[in-house]
Amino acid sequence: MAADLPPSTSLQPPTNKRLDWRTIPWWLVAIGLIIAFMGFRIISDPEYTRIFETILTGLGTTLMVTGVSFICALILGLVLGLGRVSRNLILRNLSIGYIEFIRGVPILVLIFTISFAIVPALSNGIGLNASNISLTARAIIALVLIYAAYIAEIFRAGIESISRGQMEAARSLGMTHGQAMRYVILPQAFRNVLPALGNDLIAILKDSSLVSVLGVREITQVSRLSVSSSFKYEETYFILTAFYLTMTLVLSLLLQWLQRKMSSNVH
Amino acid sequence: MKRLNVVALLSLLLVVLGACGAESATPTTAPTTASTTAPVAGKIDLGGREVSIAVENLYPPFNYINPQTGKGEGWDYDAWAAICAELNCKPVFKETSWEGMIQAVGNGQFDAAADGITITPERAEQVAFSDGYIQISQRLLVRNDETRFTSMDEFAKTEFRLGTQTGTSNYETAKGLLDEARIQGFETFPFAVAALINGDVDAVIMDETAGQGYVGNNSDQLKLVGDPIKSDQLGFIFPKNSDLVEPVNAALKALRENGKLAELEKKYFGPDFKLPE
Repeated sequence: MAADLPPSTSLQPPTNKRLDWRTIPWWLVAIGLIIAFMGFRIISDPEYTRIFETILTGLGTTLMVTGVSFICALILGLVLGLGRVSRNLILRNLSIGYIEFIRGVPILVLIFTISFAIVPALSNGIGLNASNISLTARAIIALVLIYAAYIAEIFRAGIESISRGQMEAARSLGMTHGQAMRYVILPQAFRNVLPALGNDLIAILKDSSLVSVLGVREITQVSRLSVSSSFKYEETYFILTAFYLTMTLVLSLLLQWLQRKMSSNVH
Repeated sequence: MKRLNVVALLSLLLVVLGACGAESATPTTAPTTASTTAPVAGKIDLGGREVSIAVENLYPPFNYINPQTGKGEGWDYDAWAAICAELNCKPVFKETSWEGMIQAVGNGQFDAAADGITITPERAEQVAFSDGYIQISQRLLVRNDETRFTSMDEFAKTEFRLGTQTGTSNYETAKGLLDEARIQGFETFPFAVAALINGDVDAVIMDETAGQGYVGNNSDQLKLVGDPIKSDQLGFIFPKNSDLVEPVNAALKALRENGKLAELEKKYFGPDFKLPE
């Protein structure tokens, strides 16, 4: 609550003017060089250029699947996470059961199960025609259902990381349990779980490649289609790797920056 | 000390990884006993050597797993048994995925592959082909109650979705006939057919021989429509400069002359063929 802390206690790392070779993130330099080298190949070699442009056609789908899945999984994950720490016996057991079910099965298997068994069964159950649900939609549903469980666990850890005293203090101010959760616990928990949520965003981005098994035209599927007739395995998979590496690296740097920004203005 | 531990751990990891890499795929099936009689004079004799043959076991009637025995069978298995009986060799079938199969044979990972592989100039740059052993047409497989179109030409004018297996000549054919956004590439043909029955796609383009296999088993659900779309030769593939191409071609010729190929064709590609259930 201290808004005017002396600058010496600010949480930012001391900015060292002199570069010390030991503090340079060499791994980042190395990966950056790999990406730069691939970029150079793509620009200079027409074969690489052609394959790059082919893979680019799937980028929109990859980003769309990742973004939509992550946002929906956040919402469902929050609901499940709250259920996980709920004092209601039924709600808590339902949430824990769901989370353990999902976490106990490989993601690839779940993608098959959800797309080809659960979605058709459910849609027929409510009188919808499953064939109207495209495989892309099923892929997104699968990723949402899977990642909601992982994100729920993150929220649970975040909520449990806030000391009991916070809840007691809020209750003694006359707040209901729900109000205390909403105005006191969750805002603090949310800040604590941001890094972990960021990691899950990166994980969804990587796992979106798995939905290529459903024929969804994201960058992995486009690469597989292209390679099956061109036989340019080396070029195609190197470029595809560089695609993912660039995206995950940009995301994780962005997250680090966001974290620093958030921790430097603690109120 | 700490650093030493890390080094030790890493080297241990490398050793373990190396050991894993060294383990090769086990053959999926015991080959049907090839004749042990000495080959006739004048015939090519491979001296009983083992020939590793990549199959998918997911492409009926060429190769599939019999659910009763759990073993692979199909035209490829019988044809290679007959070829090896001619040449005095021992077929060893290796189950592998279609994706990368051509590349793997090109790299010499297998001595050959049999998977109803269409002979195309692009593929011939990667691998050596045997002579074509069958001429097949590509057809359109649809649900039994389909009335909205009756041929590929009509289908192309609609907005319906077409399923097929990724990386097949069928996919290439479809790409030439309609907008690629309408084509769903699946891992395997059984997937594509399941999607057709489910209604995820409205038609599947596949080789007629394979299509008949599916119709034979699901005649209440599926049918083939329209004229043959494109006609191709199928062949076995070998690494380039393989010494097996000539002997296998000679064996195929002999089997065509003595009626064995015709017999197998009737057994697997005829209207009576049904997959074991």
